[in-house]
Amino acid sequence: MNATGVIAHSTAYDQALNLACGLLLLTAVGALWRRQVSALIPTLVVQGLALTVVAVLLAGEHENGREAMAVAIGLGILKAIVIPLLLLRVHRLVPDARETRPLANVASSMLAAAGLCLLAYAATRPLVEAAGTTTARATPVGLALVLIGFFLAATRRRSISQIVALLVIDNGIAATAFLATDGVPLIVELGVSADLVLAVLVLQVLSARLVETFGPTDLDDLRELHD
Amino acid sequence: MALAVAAGATVVGAMASILVPRQARAAVVGLSTAVAGGAGAVAGAVAAGGSHWQRSIPDILPLAGIDLAVDPLSGWFLVLVGAVTTIAGSYTIGYVGRTGAGPGSRGALFLLPLFTASMMVVPIAASVPALLAAWELMAVTSLLLVLTEHRHHDGVRAAAIWYAALTQLGFVALLVGTAWLSAAAGGTSFAAIRSATGLNPALTGTVFLLCVVGFAGKAGAVPLHPWLPRAHAESPSHVSALMSAAMVKLGIYGILRFGFDLLGGGSAWWWLVIAVIGGVSALYGITQAAVARDIKQMLAFSTSENVGLILLGIGFAGLYGLAGNRLAAGLALSAALLHAANHAAFKALLFTGAGSVVRATGTRDLDLLGGLVRTMPATTILFGAGALAAAALPPGNGFVSEWLLLQSLLHPGANAGTMLTVAAPLAVAVVALTAGIGVAAFVKAVGTGFLARPRSGSAAAAKESPASMVVAMSLAAVACAVLAIVPTQTMPAIARIAVALNSHAQRLPGPELVAAPVSGELLTVRVTQAAGGSIATIWPLWIAVAIVAVTLIIATTARSLGRPRRRTNAWSCGEGPLTPRMEYTATSFAEPLQRVFDDVLAPERSIDVTHADESEYHVAAVRFRQRIPDRIENRVYRPILALVAALGDRARVLANGSVHRYLGYMLVALLVVLVAGVVR
Amino acid sequence: MSATVWVWVVAVGQAVLLAILAPYLLGITRAVRARLEGRGGGRVGQPWRDLRKLARKQPTSPEDASFVFTATPPVLLATSLVVAAAAPFVATLSPFAGADLIVVVGLLLLGTVALALAGLDTGTAFGGMGASREMIIAALVEPTLLLSVFALSVRVGSTDLSTIVAAGVRDPSRVFTPGSALAAAALAIATLAESSRIPVDNPTTHLELTMVHEAMVLEYSGRDLALVEWASALRLTILLGLLANLFAPFGIATELTGGAIAIGAVAFVAKVGVLGALLAAGEVFAAKLRLFRVPELLAGSFALALLAVLASAVLG
Repeated sequence: MNATGVIAHSTAYDQALNLACGLLLLTAVGALWRRQVSALIPTLVVQGLALTVVAVLLAGEHENGREAMAVAIGLGILKAIVIPLLLLRVHRLVPDARETRPLANVASSMLAAAGLCLLAYAATRPLVEAAGTTTARATPVGLALVLIGFFLAATRRRSISQIVALLVIDNGIAATAFLATDGVPLIVELGVSADLVLAVLVLQVLSARLVETFGPTDLDDLRELHD
Repeated sequence: MALAVAAGATVVGAMASILVPRQARAAVVGLSTAVAGGAGAVAGAVAAGGSHWQRSIPDILPLAGIDLAVDPLSGWFLVLVGAVTTIAGSYTIGYVGRTGAGPGSRGALFLLPLFTASMMVVPIAASVPALLAAWELMAVTSLLLVLTEHRHHDGVRAAAIWYAALTQLGFVALLVGTAWLSAAAGGTSFAAIRSATGLNPALTGTVFLLCVVGFAGKAGAVPLHPWLPRAHAESPSHVSALMSAAMVKLGIYGILRFGFDLLGGGSAWWWLVIAVIGGVSALYGITQAAVARDIKQMLAFSTSENVGLILLGIGFAGLYGLAGNRLAAGLALSAALLHAANHAAFKALLFTGAGSVVRATGTRDLDLLGGLVRTMPATTILFGAGALAAAALPPGNGFVSEWLLLQSLLHPGANAGTMLTVAAPLAVAVVALTAGIGVAAFVKAVGTGFLARPRSGSAAAAKESPASMVVAMSLAAVACAVLAIVPTQTMPAIARIAVALNSHAQRLPGPELVAAPVSGELLTVRVTQAAGGSIATIWPLWIAVAIVAVTLIIATTARSLGRPRRRTNAWSCGEGPLTPRMEYTATSFAEPLQRVFDDVLAPERSIDVTHADESEYHVAAVRFRQRIPDRIENRVYRPILALVAALGDRARVLANGSVHRYLGYMLVALLVVLVAGVVR
Repeated sequence: MSATVWVWVVAVGQAVLLAILAPYLLGITRAVRARLEGRGGGRVGQPWRDLRKLARKQPTSPEDASFVFTATPPVLLATSLVVAAAAPFVATLSPFAGADLIVVVGLLLLGTVALALAGLDTGTAFGGMGASREMIIAALVEPTLLLSVFALSVRVGSTDLSTIVAAGVRDPSRVFTPGSALAAAALAIATLAESSRIPVDNPTTHLELTMVHEAMVLEYSGRDLALVEWASALRLTILLGLLANLFAPFGIATELTGGAIAIGAVAFVAKVGVLGALLAAGEVFAAKLRLFRVPELLAGSFALALLAVLASAVLG
């Protein structure tokens, strides 16, 4: 299967992993593509599911598989159900329907996303060649997710888009960690995710207060607070 | 032998321009130029067929003399230059006419054969002084030819200044680079440079960059392109055709000759530079072409685009060669060379066609043309054929070379390096976008320039060109057709070029170029693997035959079954007859594209709204003005020019008119040189 | 008869099948759409009846139009028919020794160009408007198409359509890779744009502000219009058929036996019918994009195609 011959995966396993990685990438680009804030949340659900699939697949290969599997499922519940539900609540509180004026228009963001993916690929190439396993070959996807997430955060104005961007970055870090290390620090990831839930909660409260005080949350309008 | 005929015909042409009275002057000069071109093309074909020839003429230039030699690479470019010269020469007869003024004056007709001859010497020069002499002669004669119509158009002088400045900048770079190389190699002849070993890579790299400035500038690659749209637009059309179809290719020749042959292929960054220049030129050129209003300027920008594609091919040939992917390297090189030939053929056709339009209507503005399909049917059909080729659509000849280029980019190989794996898809995207916008640009040129109703009186009063011009254009169209149908017949010559370029690179750790993996069957272009399996195949002739045959069958069947056609008014929303003002113009056609690329093109718009006197709410007139400036020119060249002007003002202090002071400067300069010599 | 003759027969038969099927496909999309919108709608064969009616009527040309206007409908149909004969729809064997994907893209573009020139040739503002918009869309779709080709050809090392499809039949597991999934998404968007469907263009509108394809063909009437409509339906069938066979190559005939070809034909009709119904169902729920939002969509499909290339290089 691979050059080092550590684990002989089945083709189906490889394909499922590859498909999940493809889905991760697709959803990240999708988050950048859609301006409708309400469309971002389903995208995030799909991304969470894809990440869960990756985690489950890796857990299946893990030595203490049962624990890892439990952690993976916990992660799935968190990423695909809890966080999106929280986001939905934020969205209901903050009814700005769409990203009206992103700092970079959608067409150029798409080109930028393509460029970022190329960069991620070029940057992780030495790592991929050194390892040679299917999982390691998918690490560029994780890095690309992180880069796209940062780009999303840098170019969007709505605070809810910022939260989504943060979550994409987190998914990217998680994916990189799983793929590069064959899924060891699942528990660490779970901890980080818990932190994130906390962050989302705090942001939710904050943005609710902000809406009460100032109306819709355009980050550029927030600058007035500073002055 | 054929070269002797070419030289003789050139001399006859030059003499005739002075001696023959004006009625017959253009005919004699045009004919002898055409003969010289034909002889040059024959000589080139013989050389491309593999026969070598060399000669040195010691006494023409002081100190060095002139060395001439032909090999397959020179042969290829000699064929291009010769063939274009034949077309342009025969076109000159009708285009210049019997007026004896402007392009028909003694001076202009004297320079024409000189210009074509110098272009034919460039590829066969076999020593640095010979190359530089021919190069400079070519630059000066073409510059003077650009100036031919300076009394008639205002833009000519500016065009000539831009051209002079950039071409001399290139020449200086070339002079420094080649002189340095000769000094390091210990000889000025190409043979000596080839046999020099142990050249420092830093030195060859610098020399390569200097040569690229000189050659890519002449080829019209971005960012050294600002002269090209001006000079091509403002010069007489036979000169534009010669410059765009032939002279620009010599820049490509220079890069191939120096990069692969004399400098031995160097390292990957050389070819990455070339590929990046190529990609940027292709995209920038075609975007500007798509929004240009001036038909000749549009063709000139398209020249930048095609040069970009050729450079992209050359760059990838080098990259693949260094990576050891022989299949793709051979493909990329043959795509580049074939595209050079294709571009020469269709651009000669398009510029001569545009020249006919300009001659018949007196305007180059696409917004004022239209309706020529009825008054100038032959020119329209020929221009359309050229546009089909230039838009790289099947069954045109441009399609075959772009197909080869794409095939080379689509096969980077499974274990190519990171750079190639990333660069190849990007290059595919660049080529594809270029092709797409190119199609839009040429639909615009044909659709608004030639079809529908005339948009001005001069376009309505146009007359078909004289027979000699139509014949010249048809020659170019035949060249396009031959290249479109039997492109494989050029493959043996291209294979010889690859071998010749490789023979030197073999001894250095340079790129590995081999014969293109394209089989030489008569009607099939087949890309084959080393193992023998075929990767991709096209049948250019069958595509053309199938389309034409099926079209004819459908048309005749439909006509015989249905009722006869009737002419009516077009739908005008019930508003009465349509006027030419209601038509889409070239500007309006390109508007959506311009909006999409607004950030790249940065057009300057101004809208003046005049209100009626009675009320602010009633609009009396709206005036909309738009100019699409060359952004690179504004951003790169204007600041440099401003800086130079400011420095010039400062330097005025140094020159206060005192003779003593000037003598003092000379003394200081002399002392510095001597001291530097002593210290060293 | 020798095998080569049979290959030709199959190619011609394939072209005929697609030509007959195309108006029915249009009928299917219209019928599905009507049902979903709660209307009765026409029958599936209605487009054929429309074509027959148009073909009997007298064609008209605008006063100022030249031969380009009259030549375009046959050229458009001819390019479509050549593609229909050469590309692998029913069988992966083609007399053209491999229909190259780039050639197919080029031939379809040639048809678009002919139509755009005809639009400009009428000298009306509508014609020019449609031509201008169509060319912009075509120019921006081109990179997506060729990059998807890249992603698909990396898998088999060839741009030959028959080779790609045949490889898919031999090794179905290779069809479901992230690379090909992304390429399929990109190609689907490109297909919508090329065949002038929602959200890029609305085939049923005749409103000045929104027309693209309909604006170009506004001056056509009688048998000219019949040819243009037929060719447009054929192009839709070709594009959907390619999409189906590239990503679901099941049932296509890889050998020259009567049974295999019959199965191939049935499978092809079924696949295209399903895709057509899906297309119609999607159109019910989607709105046409503003013209200047279309580049965003196409940039998205371009990014998908580039990701597809990367994914096929990285993930295999």
